[in-house]
Amino acid sequence: MITVANDDFAAGVLLAILALPVLAALALWALPVQLGERLAALYGAVVSGLVLVGSLLLWTPANGWIAYVSGGETLAPGEQVKPLHGVTDVPWIPSLGVRFHVGVDSISVPLIVLTALLTFLCCVYSLKITPRIGRMRSLVALLLVIEAGVIGAFSAMDLVLFFVCFEIVLIPMWLIIDIWGDDHDAPGRKRAATTFVLMTVFGSALMLLGFLLVFRQAGTFDLVQLTNSPVLDGHGVPLAAALLIAVGLAVKVPLWPLHIWLPDAHAKAPTVGSVILAGVLLKLGTYGLIRILVPVLPDATVTIAPYLGGFSTVAIIAGSLACLGQTDVKRLIAYSSVGHMGFIGLGIATLSPAGMKGALFANIAHGIITGLLFFLAGAIKDRHDTSDLATIGRALYARLPRIAALLTFACLASLGLPGLAGFWGEMLVLLGAYDPADSLPRATYLVFMVLAGLGTVLTAAYFLRLVRKLCQGDPAEHPAGAFAVDLSRIELITWTPLITLTVLLGVWPGLLLHQWGSL
Amino acid sequence: MTLTWTDWQAIAVPLVLAIGAVAVLLIDAFWRSSPAQLRHTVVTLLTGAVILFGLVFVWAQRDDFKPAFCRPAVEGPAECSLVFEPLTAGLWGVLLLGGLGVVGLSAYRLLAADIPVGEYHFLLLSALVGATTLAGARDLATVVIALEVVSLPSFALVALRRDRRGSEAAMKAFLVSVLSTAVMLFGISYLYGVTGSLYLTTIANRLTGLDPSMQRVAFAAGLFVIVGFAFKIAAVPFHGWLPDTYAGAPVEVTAFLAVVSKSAGVAGLLVLVITGLAPDGSDLRLVVAILAAVTMTVGNLAALRQREAVRLLAWSSIGQVGFLLAPLAVGDAQAVVGYLAAYVVVTLGAFGAVAVVQRHRPSGLLADYRGMVRSEPGLAVALIFFLVVLAGLPPGLAGLFTKFAAFQAVIDAHLGWLAIVMALNVMIGLAVYLRWIAELFRLPADDPFAVDIETPAVAMISLFAAAAVVVSILPSTLFALAT
Repeated sequence: MITVANDDFAAGVLLAILALPVLAALALWALPVQLGERLAALYGAVVSGLVLVGSLLLWTPANGWIAYVSGGETLAPGEQVKPLHGVTDVPWIPSLGVRFHVGVDSISVPLIVLTALLTFLCCVYSLKITPRIGRMRSLVALLLVIEAGVIGAFSAMDLVLFFVCFEIVLIPMWLIIDIWGDDHDAPGRKRAATTFVLMTVFGSALMLLGFLLVFRQAGTFDLVQLTNSPVLDGHGVPLAAALLIAVGLAVKVPLWPLHIWLPDAHAKAPTVGSVILAGVLLKLGTYGLIRILVPVLPDATVTIAPYLGGFSTVAIIAGSLACLGQTDVKRLIAYSSVGHMGFIGLGIATLSPAGMKGALFANIAHGIITGLLFFLAGAIKDRHDTSDLATIGRALYARLPRIAALLTFACLASLGLPGLAGFWGEMLVLLGAYDPADSLPRATYLVFMVLAGLGTVLTAAYFLRLVRKLCQGDPAEHPAGAFAVDLSRIELITWTPLITLTVLLGVWPGLLLHQWGSL
Repeated sequence: MTLTWTDWQAIAVPLVLAIGAVAVLLIDAFWRSSPAQLRHTVVTLLTGAVILFGLVFVWAQRDDFKPAFCRPAVEGPAECSLVFEPLTAGLWGVLLLGGLGVVGLSAYRLLAADIPVGEYHFLLLSALVGATTLAGARDLATVVIALEVVSLPSFALVALRRDRRGSEAAMKAFLVSVLSTAVMLFGISYLYGVTGSLYLTTIANRLTGLDPSMQRVAFAAGLFVIVGFAFKIAAVPFHGWLPDTYAGAPVEVTAFLAVVSKSAGVAGLLVLVITGLAPDGSDLRLVVAILAAVTMTVGNLAALRQREAVRLLAWSSIGQVGFLLAPLAVGDAQAVVGYLAAYVVVTLGAFGAVAVVQRHRPSGLLADYRGMVRSEPGLAVALIFFLVVLAGLPPGLAGLFTKFAAFQAVIDAHLGWLAIVMALNVMIGLAVYLRWIAELFRLPADDPFAVDIETPAVAMISLFAAAAVVVSILPSTLFALAT
């Protein structure tokens, strides 16, 4: 259930952080080429820094978070549904029933902050470390456009607006991979970029069909109305709508077997592209599942949830197995995302409070940790001019001690070491799978839980293999390369927030979990 | 039969266009002594003024309902040959805007010097006379004549350059058109035989009361009429003539074919479908839906393989017609007109940009556009925006929402399979335009395109880009065209 609060300040802030990146990007393109190239990264850092401040201003727990209440769940005593805030709701295309309706609650704000943080860090990182091809002006402008699109999707309260924001990021991301991607493999990066954009477009078109079916049933695109009076019935048109929406979003998540665009896109993208793609864009899919599929089509979701859980479990296992066979560090991290997103999908599929909160938590944790991992992979790739494990060689502990230590740290966080951010989400998901919503077949979910538990072991296996193949070894056999400079200052500055958050969320998960109601 | 005041009002726009057509021909013929620039400018301005009159008229009368050339019927309401109603206003608005755009793109220094100005504008206005009449026509005789009035000037326009490619292109279009007219007339004769009337409303009324065997004949007859139109709008599998004709004609004429001629065909088919030939639930609508699915898929797939800009636009325009046919198949006039309006604006813009490049690089390959974001940023950004609108992705929200409306119409009509085909084609269509956009962004270019763009071209392309931006921010304006 969603109620709405009137809050002009928050509404203003939200509109500002939506408009600022777009306007700033247009202004940057309007600058002369020479000046724009020189100032781009600094300009981007300032703008995205402002957006980050704005997104933190939205984080006002005292003033209207909602406690997440799904379908049949009742509120704990003393708890109340806190309203959506920062709401702007104006008609946009009356003849199609489309409104410009945005607002934020406790599900969207952490994701918005994550988006703003990662974009900011990417811009800061670009102050010193740039892709070889240059053209920083366009790169920064495109990053800002992506930021606006993602924040828009996270705050959209209208299905069509969500769809539009979902699509805004496509062409910029395609350009980022196509232009700034791996410069050793031009045909490969073009193919990766095109596969990414075409699969996502097809997915989002299917999602749109689902939205239109919802509209045919309910007569509105408004998420607040749809959440408060959902489309019931788990058969016929609602089921078709749920299937279309789930498949469309599953392409984005990506869920096995729709993940085939992901490894190439991540591996060929430039460092900042991979960070944004893994840290932010994948979250659009899971956010859509939580925000739209579960509350709007509750009965149909119950029908398809076991299948969603099944595919998610396969994703966990298949992603982990694929990782074991990878010889490329960026591809390995990309495949690890498939496994982690599988956990999030499984958490959503349990439809239980624990699983849902686990999914929400894992969303944020994955964004932070995988962002860090891709930064590290980018750093290693830049230093060796390749991301092939065999060519990089072993013994990074001796050659790049700090980077190697950080890589080990990030790997441990990613495999779910207790005390770091990666742990809580996966634990809650497993807990949710142990005790799924009453309407779901428990035995099936127990199997999923066991398999997913096996998946965590496999995750540990491939990350430890990565650490062993890359970091350990005899330094005498693997002499340092010419460019083997250890951790630079800009890298330290960029990565510190991510490292801090990984530890902070690991030791104090309540910081986020309390926003979604008590367990 | 005497003409009433309403009749005069309803045909005011075609009439003024026709008078304008004769006037520009005479000016060009009898004012040879004047400098070419002055003559061309006068002709352009006069043509523009005539079309603008039409637009103002349409705007002023947009909410009116004016049945013209009516006669009392034996049964039911009066039968009228030409009706001006809000739908007509929307279609005329789109057609006239398209015509105005083409006139703008054919200003002095833009139109190749070997093309005779007077004839060119005369043919353009004549075609517009036919197009506007077609959109208002409500009886089959008027439909056929109006369609011929659109088609005949089109062939002449294609052949205006009088070289081999032009003649071949015109010949191809002419033969196909004659064939399609024959097919259509055959269908119409059967329809007349079955229903005893040429008036669309009467046909619609009588079709419902036919006995089953006659209904089969009526279905076949309707099929022939639709096939006739399918030739004109180049719906697959009746599209064979289009790519060569587009590539053979001067770029401005190609823009005319893609915008005015195609919109006229769609308008005529729309009128036929919604005023009675294919009532809700009729099998003919299913035929149009299948036509839509095949047309968009084949058009987009073929466009994927093109290496020349004009051929790519030609094939992708076939794909766009497929998307237009989808809401048309379910009789959603609002979605059709909105889609048509967005298509007209950005197609004009894209052809405008292509014309600029082709004037300096006649080969017209996509590779000619390499690196234009740096060397010619204004033109490149405008072209990218037009292509993105055609693809229907943000920031081209005009394209996105018109596609959205098409999806909505199809979903509301329970044609799930067509919606899935459309979703697939959104993907293929995007792949088509992305190839071009990728060229524009590719740096460094060996020989980037950079020229002094002619002032009228800059003005027109800016105008189209501005219009595309406005309808992207306020897509509701597109759907307000036909209410």
